[in-house]
Amino acid sequence: MSRYACVLVEYFDAAAVERGEPALRAEPLGVVNVHNLEARLGRRGLSPSTACSAHIVDRARASRDGAPAAKIAMIVEANAEARAHGVHPGMTEAEARARCPMLVTRPLIEEYVLSARHALLEAALAVSPRIEDGGAGLVYVDTVGLERLIGDPPAIGRRLVHQARAVGLAARVGLAASRTAARVTATRASGPVTVVPEGRERTALAGAPLATLALSPDLAETLARWGVRTLGELAALPRAGLSARLGPAGLRAHDLALGLDHDPFRPWTPPPFWEEAQGLEWEIDSLGVLAGVLETVLERLCARLASASLAADALEVRLGLASGGHHARSVALAYPVVEVKPILTLVVLDLEAHPPGAPVTRVAVSAHPIRTQPGQGGLWQPPAPAPRDLVSVLARLAALVGADNLGSPALVDSHRSDAFTMLAFSPPSEPEPFDRRPPGPSPRPEGGDHRLAVRRVRPARRVEVEAVGERPTRVDARRVLGCAGPWRASGEWWDVDAWAREEWDVVLSDGALCRVARDRLAGHWYLDALYD
Amino acid sequence: MGESAAPIFSSRTSAGGALAPRRPAARTPSRGEITEIVGRLSSGRTSYLLACLADVVGQGETAALVDADETFDPRSAAQAGIDLRRLLWVRCGSDRGVALRAADMLVRCPGFALVALDLGERVPRLPPTLSFRLKFAVRRTDVALLIVGRRRLTGSSAALALETSREGIEWTGPGPVPTRLARVRTRTRVLRSPGEEPGDSPPLWWTA
Repeated sequence: MSRYACVLVEYFDAAAVERGEPALRAEPLGVVNVHNLEARLGRRGLSPSTACSAHIVDRARASRDGAPAAKIAMIVEANAEARAHGVHPGMTEAEARARCPMLVTRPLIEEYVLSARHALLEAALAVSPRIEDGGAGLVYVDTVGLERLIGDPPAIGRRLVHQARAVGLAARVGLAASRTAARVTATRASGPVTVVPEGRERTALAGAPLATLALSPDLAETLARWGVRTLGELAALPRAGLSARLGPAGLRAHDLALGLDHDPFRPWTPPPFWEEAQGLEWEIDSLGVLAGVLETVLERLCARLASASLAADALEVRLGLASGGHHARSVALAYPVVEVKPILTLVVLDLEAHPPGAPVTRVAVSAHPIRTQPGQGGLWQPPAPAPRDLVSVLARLAALVGADNLGSPALVDSHRSDAFTMLAFSPPSEPEPFDRRPPGPSPRPEGGDHRLAVRRVRPARRVEVEAVGERPTRVDARRVLGCAGPWRASGEWWDVDAWAREEWDVVLSDGALCRVARDRLAGHWYLDALYD
Repeated sequence: MGESAAPIFSSRTSAGGALAPRRPAARTPSRGEITEIVGRLSSGRTSYLLACLADVVGQGETAALVDADETFDPRSAAQAGIDLRRLLWVRCGSDRGVALRAADMLVRCPGFALVALDLGERVPRLPPTLSFRLKFAVRRTDVALLIVGRRRLTGSSAALALETSREGIEWTGPGPVPTRLARVRTRTRVLRSPGEEPGDSPPLWWTA
């Protein structure tokens, strides 16, 4: 009795395009992707002189000479019709068109492929509740027990082919006692359904080429050097010898050649639909009342998330309006949370800032689920703000001071003394060992003193400076009691933002200890910072 | 040379017990209380603030800085040993009211070890009711609130008030003419501390 079926859709990227444009099934179709030629040559270690055509070389040379980067369209997949004309993945589009003037090309769009992959999985799921995602265009189906529901193995195979056709994909199905045997059978089959009788796996696989096993390049090369071309020849080799010469990889290849599975079956389940909605019999025009409805919806959604040990890290709120329109808001959460109150606070704050334009008649909230870090903090780990509290306070602070004025500063690799950037506040969950901390200036100066801080003047304030020679003597009419400098710095001289300045540390008659800087390009003096 | 560097901040364990101050001579902010540091410009009050932040963050805890005038210098903070990822910086655009509200929000969020409020030169008048409100919020969440400014803000609600003053400057350079500021010596005076007479702490050296 066959236990597994393998549903195979060949040339899947092309099949995904054909699914969207069925008329292309009768045409030679190539799926192209645009590559940067320089990167491609560099990645392959080719010099332009060894590139496939003078045309390509010229374009690469033009790129190096400063012209816009040369782009080249590469065939990444071709359907059976195109392959019959000699078109194969890896060719340039020009080369493919030279071989097949009738070639129709379409760009590679990931969304098409993902959508088709998902459709194939759902088609298989309609036949059996236990399926495994084997990759793009490959689904394994556990057929145990289906004979009572559907019939004999060929009938199960025909049902799978029918389901795949219903979602726009032409599939071949192989049925065998193992997934490996079913896949190799489906790969080599000429008809839509092929069944390997029980106990005949080794015979059925014997003639299949080694390439059907997708071995590692090194192992495939070694076996090819030994003259092993087919699975039958590999299966005939003594295991002890293979183990001694090739190790575990050799034994694994031998098992696969015999049609034995090595990896456990990993059932695929469709991603759940994390949305809760509430239709209203009355119109809501007050945010307070709407918050009550939102709380109810969020309670249901959070309960579902919590039962699956998930948390939400982003929310989509869609409000149906009495005017017939919709009001949609995306609410990003700084931390994944599953508690209703902080989420409700954030949603209400967002709706306060962006209120709907008409009374609300329907509320729907969908969550982007994420698996949260299991467990609690370490016993000796210092306490930190709870994620739900932190999310809430960050949202309130962002509403108060603006999101741009909130976060963790991060130094920028620049000679500018005030170069920094703001990052979202996300403290590390655990203290890191000292040698793994981000590189930065030495925290303690020599001698064990503490570091003197400066208070920045933002933006730097222009000041009038009197100088004798180059040393300042007065700053904004305040006498300079002592000074040190100059400390010269410059940067970005290669760009339009070139800067050059000299800094002086000065003590003024009013007691202030400042850093003043002279812009060497413009000649102006600025109060840069105050030591404090 | 100055005395050996030691952590300035005296924290409590998460269980609430007080740790013995590692530097008895230096007055330190404590959790669950308000501490104020006042002083003129260039008196070392900001350096004191960064040293407190560095001690807190160095223990793996989280701190926040409400910066009224946006004068915080991340490079100085990194040089002081602050892991910037553990520091929440709130810039208030010179609005004292916003700064006070932001500090009020932060001290109500349990988990921050230290919330620093830098009011700079323009310290507003704070009604006593708001001072007490801050005091009780800090006590409830066990957060240390450190307020830095030209003059005191919270009056008797502060458990510890310090005043910094500059005592000396050292310059450095390869030749007879100095080219760089080397060190600044400051002294800290206790203005208010429960059960203690006001007095001076030993001087501290701050290296530029």
